[in-house]
Amino acid sequence: MSTANLDSALNTKAAVHGAEHEEEDHRMFGFIVFLISESVIFISFFVGYIVYKLSATDWYPAGFEGLEVREPFINTVVLVSSSFVIYFAERYLHRENLWGFRIFWFLTMAMGGYFLVGQAVEWMNLPFGFTDGVFGGTFYLLTGFHGLHVLTGVLLQGVMLGRSFIPDNYEGGEYGVNATSIFWHFVDVIWIVLFILIYVWR
Amino acid sequence: MSNTLMEPPVQESLQPQPGAPDNWKRFFTFSTDHKVIGIQYIVTAFVFFLFAGLLAMIMRGELLTPESDLVDRTVYNGLFTMHGTLMLFLWTFPMLSGLANYLVPLQIGARDMAFPRLNAVAFWLVPVFGIILTVSFFVPGGPSQSGWWAYPPVSLQNPTGNLINGQFLWLVAVALSGVSSIMGAVNIVTTIIRMRAPGMGWFKMPVFCWTVLSAQLIQLFGLPALTAGAVMLLFDLTVGTSFFNPELGGDPVLYQHFFWFYSHPAVYVIILPIFGVFSEVFPVYARKPLFGYPVVAVSSLIITALGAVVWVHHMFASGTPGWMRMLFMFSTMTISVPTGIKVFAWVATVWGGKIRLNTPMLFALGGLIMWVFAGITGITLGSVPFDIHVNNTYYVVGHFHYVVYGAVVMGFYAAIYHWFPKMTGRMYYEGLGQLHFVLTFIGANLNFFPMHPVGLMGMPRRVASYDPEFAFWNVLASMGAFLLGVSTLPFLLNVLSSWARGPKAGDNPWRAIGLEWMVSSPPPHENFDEIPVVVSAPYGYGGDEPLVASEPEKELVGEYS
Amino acid sequence: MYIRRWFKKRWIVVIIGLAIADILVSVWLGQQSYRWFPPQASAESMLIDDLFSIMTTIGSLIFFGVTGTLLYSMIFQRAPKYDTSDGPPIEGNLKLEVIWTVVPALVIVGIAFASYQTYDRMAVLGTIGPKAMGMQSANAAPVEAPVAAPAAANDPIEVHARQWAWEFYYPQQQVSSTELHLPIDQRALLRLSSEDVLHGFYVPAFRIKQDIIPGREIDFEFTPIREGRYRVRDSDYSGTYFAANQSFVVVESADDYQDWLTMAAAQSPTSAPNRAYEEFKRSRENPIGLGWDTVEPAAPPVVNYDNSDEEAYE
Repeated sequence: MSTANLDSALNTKAAVHGAEHEEEDHRMFGFIVFLISESVIFISFFVGYIVYKLSATDWYPAGFEGLEVREPFINTVVLVSSSFVIYFAERYLHRENLWGFRIFWFLTMAMGGYFLVGQAVEWMNLPFGFTDGVFGGTFYLLTGFHGLHVLTGVLLQGVMLGRSFIPDNYEGGEYGVNATSIFWHFVDVIWIVLFILIYVWR
Repeated sequence: MSNTLMEPPVQESLQPQPGAPDNWKRFFTFSTDHKVIGIQYIVTAFVFFLFAGLLAMIMRGELLTPESDLVDRTVYNGLFTMHGTLMLFLWTFPMLSGLANYLVPLQIGARDMAFPRLNAVAFWLVPVFGIILTVSFFVPGGPSQSGWWAYPPVSLQNPTGNLINGQFLWLVAVALSGVSSIMGAVNIVTTIIRMRAPGMGWFKMPVFCWTVLSAQLIQLFGLPALTAGAVMLLFDLTVGTSFFNPELGGDPVLYQHFFWFYSHPAVYVIILPIFGVFSEVFPVYARKPLFGYPVVAVSSLIITALGAVVWVHHMFASGTPGWMRMLFMFSTMTISVPTGIKVFAWVATVWGGKIRLNTPMLFALGGLIMWVFAGITGITLGSVPFDIHVNNTYYVVGHFHYVVYGAVVMGFYAAIYHWFPKMTGRMYYEGLGQLHFVLTFIGANLNFFPMHPVGLMGMPRRVASYDPEFAFWNVLASMGAFLLGVSTLPFLLNVLSSWARGPKAGDNPWRAIGLEWMVSSPPPHENFDEIPVVVSAPYGYGGDEPLVASEPEKELVGEYS
Repeated sequence: MYIRRWFKKRWIVVIIGLAIADILVSVWLGQQSYRWFPPQASAESMLIDDLFSIMTTIGSLIFFGVTGTLLYSMIFQRAPKYDTSDGPPIEGNLKLEVIWTVVPALVIVGIAFASYQTYDRMAVLGTIGPKAMGMQSANAAPVEAPVAAPAAANDPIEVHARQWAWEFYYPQQQVSSTELHLPIDQRALLRLSSEDVLHGFYVPAFRIKQDIIPGREIDFEFTPIREGRYRVRDSDYSGTYFAANQSFVVVESADDYQDWLTMAAAQSPTSAPNRAYEEFKRSRENPIGLGWDTVEPAAPPVVNYDNSDEEAYE
């Protein structure tokens, strides 16, 4: 039996007594745990894509030569840049510059919107569909699932933008903005992998 | 030898007794109290356990005779599919979520889970997808009949041609189950990592929490693979994509990889918390510390890690190349080492103690014995040449029923009887409990042991009819199944009547060590009037180290001899 | 009691005695395990039965050891009735823990290695002559034996699985049959294919099984060593009439085998009775639908030879 143990425990107890009823904010930890889990779905789809591509005899649908890379590349640049833009927005908010935050935040939304429109335009101009072979299936599955996440990100950003107009919104911290921002970076990283797999790897 | 701490000063609680009979309505609300949610999960899960058990008894009725003469073959196929599906997604996962929900905050000294509202949402999804699966029995074409694995191309065949068919509903239900599980996993992992009471380092945390953490980590990182496979299958089924459809250039074996990459670790999700229950129960009823506690704790995480790289052992007879079979055979065999460590540790915990055969201990011991048998047949299944003979036969069915009935259900019963007084404030009737144990133990062995010889003789699984040479063992198994059905009656009688009017239980009727035993039965709404400061791991039987630091003026009660 | 004191003083003797009893029972069970299988009709079956016997012995040893210890404790180490004190505060024992980590690990490695060897030998076994060493998978193409032998010159026998019938086709003789015939002591070469969904080619008496994947042709081989008629079962769930999708394999002398091929080739193809098809027709004729919608069975196989009326097998 160690009294040293007991003493230190009692000291801890005294120290913690004051902080006892203040609930620590675990939301960011939980959100990051969730994102790691979400990434496994994408990784599973990526693995599927790789396996299909490596084992296929005729990869592209009949008559199709390959994907146009130029526009998707521009989309990529826009999306990746928007990660920097959202970062600046966060910095403004941290320095309590609300209008700086709002402008850069809205700019992020616009860039996200541009990406989505670009994705839709690309889809409409492709000669193959979702049910055209394994390539068609995996292409639309991957880009569609990712697009869904981009859309979700933009919507979340919209909500955060609206909330920025509520007085004293950030009294309890900037969790919403931070989480949305991390989500956006996550969406970005996923896209980079996706772009390399689908558009760069031949 | 000095005793463990007797009851610490009773915590006066100003809350109304949550267990009072007129409070039963709160179980039908969107409560965010983890204790309410835990019981909601457990009761809902048990209802589906009984329903799926009923399906099993119809199946065993069919299997009394070699011919397919009780129900139509399509009905039998729907029965075995839904029996498996319900047992996994509506019994084991929710039940274990319920146990974890109830116990973890109490055991780590927290007031609730990290995200109480998310917790409630995760629970309420369960009845939703439960209803979806139940409804699937009534749509044209009936429920899914492709087995709980839903392997394509069979799962894509859709004889009715309808968009909304049993398989579609099955996939939607499984997807919702995944969402619910991941919500729960985020919650539990955050809670265990971030909300332990002051002083509770990792190696002062109860093993149950270790096993729950290990299990929920698997859910987090394994489930999304199943979701991915299920999404692709859903698109194949509804829209006509060609991911797994060989007629359109797809690969049915890839589905198996997606499926088993999650579903193998899923079995560790199921068994790990039960290992945790064993680790909590044995010390109490042997009055001895858990033997090798740090190793037992860490072995849970090792099982999680190793469990991620064995999935191909479900595919030894599929179109897998020889090198892959050998690789996964070796990885599969290694899992028995951390598992064996736990088994030997439990035996060493019990050995030399002062054994009391209360109902929880009976179930834990019976569960452990059946688990050892299951583990041994599991090792044989890991051997590729042997597995080639018994893969997809009743030998496998026997093995995993020894696991899920022998270990998991018996472990569940051990947990319920052990924590029943804490959860309800009432004591159950011991005689009924022992009767329940005897019927369950005999029934389970009678039902599932015969599956091994009949599998060795070459009887495939999932068959509505079989060759006459298998009849003898099948009749035995069916007798066991009916006995198991009957065995639930003393349990239900016990739980319901004790909850309503059993003798009141004190805070710590088992004189057990643990934070949950330091609060009233049932616990007050916020669990602890003051968050305790933890000093030691909760296995100090026979010693005099206190579990928590107490106020200086209250002398440590354990110092007397 | 005097007897209990006698035992207690010589506990080491008791332990050794019990351990010996455990070993004897386990070895006996290991020997018994051969009787739990169908007859050993293939060379592979002998290897697998040996492996299982070893695993049974080791498994029994562990099971009775653990269960025996627990039972002893449950019976003889109960708390005295009014004794509320605790047991000894034993928290661990490093030596013991190391032993029960290392020893099982070694046992496991041993079993894994024995299994690896068995799998390897299964692939190379055959009375045709020495074969190339190396890993054989179910996807292996037929291997040429360095010693020329009659069986190696044959094309593989085609096994066609469908919902819900088995059809075997001998390409060289152009014989189709619902019953597989194989010559004894010759390496059997099969090429498995499915016309619709996953099936499994399983002969319990041979201890061999291979899932059949639609869209692929899988080459599969083994060596029958015992004359007789054995069951062939569909082992991979394939839909409504899965349980009825069974057939037979006949292992016979090389002469009888050739005679059978000749006789079958002379018969004109006729529609064979098919259990799934017949059940399906009967259920259609029944005005009361007692089941759910089902995939329609394929038409019964049209083959040169059928013997499904014969029910006897080993």
